[in-house]
This record gives sequence, structure tokens and C-alpha cells, in this order.
Amino acid sequence: MILEPEKHSPRNPGHLAQWLLPWAAQLVPIPLRADWQQEWRGELWHLDHEHGNRMPHSARALSLAYGLLADAFWLRSNYVIQISRGSAGSCLATLAFCCLLSIVVSWVYSGSAHAFSGLIAAHFIGGYIFVAIPAIFTAIATNPLRPLRCDRNQPRSEKLLSTRARWNLFLTAKILLTLILVFFGAIAAAAPLRIFIGRSADWFELVLWAFAVTAGLRWALLNQERRCQRCLRILNQPTRIGPPSRNFLDWNGTELACADGHGLLHVPEMQGSWCWYDRWVELDSTLQTIW
Amino acid sequence: MTSAKLSHTVAIILKALSLGYQFGFEIMEVTGLPSGTVYPALRRLERDDLVSSKWEAEEHALKEQRPVRRYYLLTRAGKGAAATAIQRYPLLSRLIPEKLVKT
Repeated sequence: MILEPEKHSPRNPGHLAQWLLPWAAQLVPIPLRADWQQEWRGELWHLDHEHGNRMPHSARALSLAYGLLADAFWLRSNYVIQISRGSAGSCLATLAFCCLLSIVVSWVYSGSAHAFSGLIAAHFIGGYIFVAIPAIFTAIATNPLRPLRCDRNQPRSEKLLSTRARWNLFLTAKILLTLILVFFGAIAAAAPLRIFIGRSADWFELVLWAFAVTAGLRWALLNQERRCQRCLRILNQPTRIGPPSRNFLDWNGTELACADGHGLLHVPEMQGSWCWYDRWVELDSTLQTIW
Repeated sequence: MTSAKLSHTVAIILKALSLGYQFGFEIMEVTGLPSGTVYPALRRLERDDLVSSKWEAEEHALKEQRPVRRYYLLTRAGKGAAATAIQRYPLLSRLIPEKLVKT
């Protein structure tokens, strides 16, 4: 339907919402923008053509202008949340934020910059290295051995780094941030205890490091196994496939899918000579349209 | 959305939808809620599959010489949530009048 173009002034409360519409539309994600504008044209039409009895016209116009902005902002924020949920970026950002928080807490407890740097040097060289290295070996040794899922035969990515390079870079960054978080997190956790029992709190710190490094690295490795090989997003929609009673005849287990339709991860219910490990199945672009 | 998360505002909007009010402006008018609450709430309800939306038939809008509207309807889960809301806030029925004319 073609509507007559009208001149709208921001100074007139009645026209404010119409004037705001194209500006607020810039906030709305592109895939939703046309529908959103169409819907709001329909809503704003009522402003001049229907007279409700609850509010005066100018108050209603201002309320609608506010609603317009709130709606556009909600759509944008929801879109950002949907895009970043389970992504590699949000995982690293969360870890980095936790690292920063634990650094700030341990700094505050140490009192001064000089005391803080002394504490870090003494605890890192005097304790963390000796505990962390065996714990790293323990974490790797207890992680089930499987071939690296991201192989060299991956299709070439259009991005600057190859898929394999991004996979390895993400794993390295995640492990490093986990180790930093465990180091400062344990110092921050032991700091209040140090006020009461002095240097004896170091024993608590050592035990905490040993457990947290093992658990943290195991999490980092398992988390990597549950990610899409192409976009590094966490896989979801777990679906059970096949009856276990037919294990010798057919495959059974759980399938996880990438939300963007890049592929499926088959996790066997029972390991067999034909399926020792989780198997990643890449989907080609024709199948991605069903997602 | 579980009944525990059902806020008073959402309950009012669900009640309005269950009475046949179908689009944002109409819901805003009948409930008295500000538009900054109604529109994002409708989006949230749609995201949570309590509400579905559809465009009005263009011929109908043309006949009335106005732009097409987007109508919001309760899904099966939404009807359940509306029933829970009415149980939880019994005065809602008195707050929102029945819709007389179908849009």
C-alpha cells in the first residue's frame, strides 16, 4: 500500500514518533528492519485516526515515540545476545572479564602495587608453576584420547585465518585465560583467609590451584569438543539417534547440531571398532537452508 | 515461560490477547500500559513461543484505507500461560473489558 509522504517535525509531539521512525529503524537488525517499519507505520496510523479516552493526544504520541525506541533497542539487544550466545568471542570475553575481576580483587587485598607485584612473583615462581605443571599433565592424561577434530581438509575459510588456525588459536587463548583465572582466582580466594591465618593460607592456595587447574583444563578441552568446527559456536539441539538394542546392526548415540547449520557431531553411545571417537559431519551449503 | 516468571505486566498482556485484542496499539489502549512496555513484551512473548504473529490481509487494510497491521495471537502454550495468569491474578478479568467488535 502506497502512503502519501508527509513532512514530520520533531517539535510537534504528534509527529515525533513518525519523525523518529527512520532513525530508530537503524537500530533494528537488517533482516527484521522492513517488517519492523511496516508494523510501526500501522501502529502510528492509529495515533492520528483513533481517539482513545485514556490519555491526551500529545502524551500518547510521546509514549509511542518512547515505545518505538524501546522496541528497536530490544530487537537490537536480543539480536546481539542471539549472535553471541555460545560463540568463541563470548567465551573468551567472559573468561577475560573473570580474570580482570580476580586481578582487581587480589590487588585490592594486597594493598599497594608494589605489594601486589611482589605477591605475584613469589606465588607464581614459588608455588603455581610447581603445582600447575603436574596438574596440566593430569588434565591432559585424563582427557579421552581422540584425534584432533579440526582436520586439514577443512574447506578454506574466507576469513583471514584458516578454520584450523582459528580452532587452535581459540583453544590456546582459552587455556591461557583459564590458567590466568585459576592463578589470580585462588590468590583472591585465599586473600581473606591470609588476614586471619597469615602464610598458612598458602597451603589452601596450593590445593586450590591443583584442583582448579585440573578441572579448568578438562573443561577447556571438553568445551572445545562440543563446538562447531567452522564457526566455533557451542553445538546444541542434542538428539538421540537409534535404539541401543540394535547396537550391532546400526549406529546409535547422540547428535548435536550447529545452530548455523555448519555440521553435526555424532557422539556414539558405545564405542566400537567402527566408531571410537565423536564424529564430525560437515553439512554443505545446500543443507544449511533448512536451519 | 513458567508461571513463576509470569510478571503482572505479562499477565495483563496475555489476558488482553486472550480477549481478542490483537495488535500493539490496541493492547496499549485497553491495558493502559506504556508502549515502551507493551511492544518489547510482545517480542519476548513471541520469542518464547507464547505468541505468534501474522500480517493482516492487505485487502482488509485497503478497505479501511490504512497500513496493514501485524496481529499477535496466543499459541497453545500461550493459552496455557494466560489461564495460569488469570488463576494467579483473578482481578485481571475485571481490569480488561471484553472486546466487542472483532478487528
